[in-house]
Amino acid sequence: MSDHRRWEDDLAVYALGALDPGEQAQVERHLATCAECRAALADLRVATDALPRSAPPVPAPAALKRRIMSVVESEAELLRAAGARADQPAETPAPGAPARRRWLGGLRPLPVLAAAASLVLLAGVAGYVLRGAQDTGPRERAAVVRVPGAKATLQVRDDHGTLVVRDLPDPPPGRVYQVWLQRDGQDPRATRALFSVRSGAVEVPGSLRDVDQVLVSAEPPSGSVAPTRAPIIAAQTA
Amino acid sequence: MQLVSRGDPRAFEAVYDRHCGAAFSLAYRMCGARALAEDVSQEAFLSIWRSGARYDPTRGSVRTWVLGIVHHRAIDALRRHTVHDRRRASDEGIEERFEAPERTDVEAARRDEAATIRGVLGALPGDQRRVIELAYFGGFTHAEIAEMIDSPIGTVKGRMRLGLQKLRGSLAAEGAAP
Repeated sequence: MSDHRRWEDDLAVYALGALDPGEQAQVERHLATCAECRAALADLRVATDALPRSAPPVPAPAALKRRIMSVVESEAELLRAAGARADQPAETPAPGAPARRRWLGGLRPLPVLAAAASLVLLAGVAGYVLRGAQDTGPRERAAVVRVPGAKATLQVRDDHGTLVVRDLPDPPPGRVYQVWLQRDGQDPRATRALFSVRSGAVEVPGSLRDVDQVLVSAEPPSGSVAPTRAPIIAAQTA
Repeated sequence: MQLVSRGDPRAFEAVYDRHCGAAFSLAYRMCGARALAEDVSQEAFLSIWRSGARYDPTRGSVRTWVLGIVHHRAIDALRRHTVHDRRRASDEGIEERFEAPERTDVEAARRDEAATIRGVLGALPGDQRRVIELAYFGGFTHAEIAEMIDSPIGTVKGRMRLGLQKLRGSLAAEGAAP
């Protein structure tokens, strides 16, 4: 009981979300071991759960729903395009498992140059170049982009593709964008095309002959063998 | 419990339609500005969508859960703003502004419920109601509130406890407990 008395006030502050992070962690550690305080907190929650419902009703703007649903629809499309497991982390390779290494066998961690400029060329990656965003190709495919405000198109000439991106956000800290090739019904295949530009053109390595879509996701600097994040760009090749 | 099937926009839309009014009202009550309230609501609903909307029914109703997410997002947003803005919003928020036109029975019921809870809150002693509102709607910590109202931290904490306990009792008496 004495313990409970000591914690009573802190539980009220905790229920209101008004403790600082250190105190909050302390209360949570105590709650894990004290049934009496958990019951007291549940009682206080009756009051704090009512507080948000006291807000005077204000109709949500129709434009808000349009914005949210536009993001939701484009992300759902990306999920469908990339397959159900696309946003699941890649499995940890078993020790000595050679198959996973094979995809990017020779690829070393790449130094990402300063991203202040709008165009960055990553050293050490052979087979593709980044060019100015003004390039145009004979056939242009609009891509679905998960990030509001950003745009991407896939330009296809013969069997080769160039992905043109505009106004992407910087990749998350410690990550670069990686290009993937996917045939319908199959897992995305890794490419060595890694980039961190916000606007520019990325040549897609290899032929697009057996590829249904080109995807982009944010991956560790050395690239991944399977996507570890949901793709932010999906472009159909035909 | 999976509230929204992974990647099913229609299931998400149903959750949005059902709870967007209460969510936006709370965001607006806390932020005191439409643009910020819209940002907060958008962040909250997109986090529900992206997390696969994992909802634990043992922790309360879906509405309580959605509003909890909105509350956290609003606190994050408020803590990025100046004390002045936050204080103004928490001061003004109790008044009815931009009252929704009464269009449906659901909205009418929600408005009645909000008015009842505000009545119960308004019946608390002023010093208790004030610290509860500053904490919950203003996003202030107990230490910030103590400084703001020039009272010892222990006093602020005690008022919060007494106020919440009274509020709980009054809500039960009004039949307005969640």
